[in-house]
Amino acid sequence: MTLSDHTLKEIRELPPKYPHIRSAVMPALDLVQEELGMLTQEAMTQVAQALQVDPGYVEGVATFYSLFHLEPVGKHHLYVCNNLSCQLRGAEELLTHIKESIGVSEYGQVSADGLFSVEPVECLGACEYAPMLRADHRFHYDLTPAKIDTLLKEWRGDREGKKARKEAHPRAGSH
Amino acid sequence: MTLTIDGHAVTVPKGTLIVEAAKLIGVEIPVFCYHHKLDPVGACRLCLVELSPGPPRAQTACTTPVAEGMTVRVTSPMAVKSRADILEFELTNHPLDCPVCDKGGECPLQDFTYRHGYPVSRVQEPRLHFAKPLPISDRIALDRERCVLCYRCTRYYDEVAWEQELTTNQRGVQSYIATQFDQPLQSVFSGNIIDLCPVGALTSRVWRFQSRPWDMDHTASVCSRCAVGCNVNLWERRGELMRVTARENVEIDDGWICDRGRFEYTHVNSPERLAQPRVQRRPAAWEEALSRIAAAIKGRGPRLGLSIPADITNEEAFLLARLLNGPLRGARVVMPGRTSLPGPPANQLAIKDLDGCRTIVVVAADVRADAPIVNLRVKKAVAKSGARLLTVNPELIDFDRHPGVEHVAYEPGHAAAAVRKLFDHPLLQEGPVGILYGDSAGAEDGAAIATAVAWLAKEIGAKVMPLYRATNERGVLALGILNGDSLDGCEYVFTWGQALAGGVPKGVRFLACWDDFARPYHDRAQVVIPAVTFAEDQGSYTNLEGRVQFLVPPLQPKPPLRQGWEVLQDLGLALGLGSDYLGIFQVQRDAAAAYPALAALAVPPAPAPPPAPVAMGAARP
Repeated sequence: MTLSDHTLKEIRELPPKYPHIRSAVMPALDLVQEELGMLTQEAMTQVAQALQVDPGYVEGVATFYSLFHLEPVGKHHLYVCNNLSCQLRGAEELLTHIKESIGVSEYGQVSADGLFSVEPVECLGACEYAPMLRADHRFHYDLTPAKIDTLLKEWRGDREGKKARKEAHPRAGSH
Repeated sequence: MTLTIDGHAVTVPKGTLIVEAAKLIGVEIPVFCYHHKLDPVGACRLCLVELSPGPPRAQTACTTPVAEGMTVRVTSPMAVKSRADILEFELTNHPLDCPVCDKGGECPLQDFTYRHGYPVSRVQEPRLHFAKPLPISDRIALDRERCVLCYRCTRYYDEVAWEQELTTNQRGVQSYIATQFDQPLQSVFSGNIIDLCPVGALTSRVWRFQSRPWDMDHTASVCSRCAVGCNVNLWERRGELMRVTARENVEIDDGWICDRGRFEYTHVNSPERLAQPRVQRRPAAWEEALSRIAAAIKGRGPRLGLSIPADITNEEAFLLARLLNGPLRGARVVMPGRTSLPGPPANQLAIKDLDGCRTIVVVAADVRADAPIVNLRVKKAVAKSGARLLTVNPELIDFDRHPGVEHVAYEPGHAAAAVRKLFDHPLLQEGPVGILYGDSAGAEDGAAIATAVAWLAKEIGAKVMPLYRATNERGVLALGILNGDSLDGCEYVFTWGQALAGGVPKGVRFLACWDDFARPYHDRAQVVIPAVTFAEDQGSYTNLEGRVQFLVPPLQPKPPLRQGWEVLQDLGLALGLGSDYLGIFQVQRDAAAAYPALAALAVPPAPAPPPAPVAMGAARP
């Protein structure tokens, strides 16, 4: 998978915002992941060329941060917090429930329909709403297995699911 | 600034790091990540010492500059324990496979553990495992289990070579060294990471399992692969050349050598090498072979063509010049692989002076290909001293990937004109300026470029460095014996070393070859005589800055092999030239008297520098 011209253009505009060209690698990789969902070798090489750094440096940065994906992820990648507050309020059960619901056996595995993947992450800073998860740049709070089912339904394109969620939990939503 | 280290006073310039100050008085502070040619990073924490005044904790000696009146305690109980603890950490995942590790015997991890570490290991937990050894190029193997993550190799690639082919993947305890997308290393500078690695993680595949460091003897010699003249150690065991390593000379190589110098040595030990003079393909004595050659080539004038090797020594060239001024007068002499650049310039730029240049101009040369280690020196000047770099080439070269390097393109064939146009270039208005020039791998007229560069240098007050390609091109040019590029039309041909790319011209009446390996055109030769290699030959090279350096062969030529000067001396006798050199020193004395450029030959080589002071105070808890 390679990058579109507009993403490359955005990447080329990054360096003046930083003291060193290398500082632009992380925001550039963010843009790549935004477009492709993951960092491919071709895309990392394109970033390196666009920023005039070595592909090896880009690779080093990409592998350092676990939030950069080097393997394909689902259309909706769920980051489920499993730190203390969420853990106490049932994060482990949620993770198991999600894995079963989307039909995967391992974290990082993509569901058969390509829609979902899930991974446990460190604290996302919303302990007061534990347990919580982040997906598609949105936080979802006070989760229960039932709420997970509703979310998954919604993402699967089920309009009923969306309606049901709004009626039952007017507070949940963007953060 | 004066400080005391374990009670010994030492005075060093401001800004010196504690590790360097300690080296001067022979106090050993163990280091892994610190290397004197790389920026300090403080990653391994092995150099912990106690400072006063200072915090009540051990501090890293490799990142702390000295201060007036500072007291450093390397052997205080706290410092000793800190270092031993760090070593214990370094060994938690180390496989301890020293008996099968090529680094064993010259391994800092082994030595430091012995001198500074705990005698027994408490680790009972499972250790990290990786696939090993991992070939990361044809010549280098990576063992991630042995790696202590000092990052010397990745930092070298980043800071010195500017080719980040090696990188650290993942983070924390899971970090490991990897090549860019697991592709093999391509760089011509890759071998230096073997020398840099303080453990057995990066080892040479060429030397793998060949010998042990303590089994070998070594000589301080000079590399014969190109005209830079990097200093090397040649390692010998039982009459075989085992390996080549860098020998730091800050004025030339700064401690680095390229892969050509490091790995192109295995032919020396090849059983395929020619060993016996042959006349009409049957074994013959030297006397017969040389008299046959002498009879055929004597007095032929321009009908005789000679091809000489790139790594001919000054002494051999001097003896050949004697023949060319006598019985072989008028012969055509070519040197395959050389540039078209003329003899030495008036205002020579020394390699070490690159460090002090404000602006460096590279004209019509891919420095990485022609003079690899000069390429690293230019990068050092740009990265460490803030030199500005201007490249004048038809295409972009490797320097141009660095931000801030200016590039001037020209139409191929018009390099000299491009040089003259640089006269009012803004970068050249502030000195000192150094100009490096080549002949674009033969695509440009070297003489025209040299003239243009000489004019420009005179106008702006710059110094210049011609980038000769052949090892001793400059030494041979000083003798003025080269007079052609082709042997076409010669009826009598004597090739020494690899012949011209076009091969030996058809229809020669007599062909003699002097070579270390059989080549296809030897079938047509009436006489073939065996040649020695750089590991057996005595003599000297003049490098591209005009410095004369001596070969110190670790091997004796195996009889009936004879050194080059001996063969030329006897060929002179066979040609009727009175010649009675009994040893190479007499040749050197005469050559020095005859040619000012070779005056250094009469000066005996400088004695080896005294060894570093013995490390004091092994500090084992």
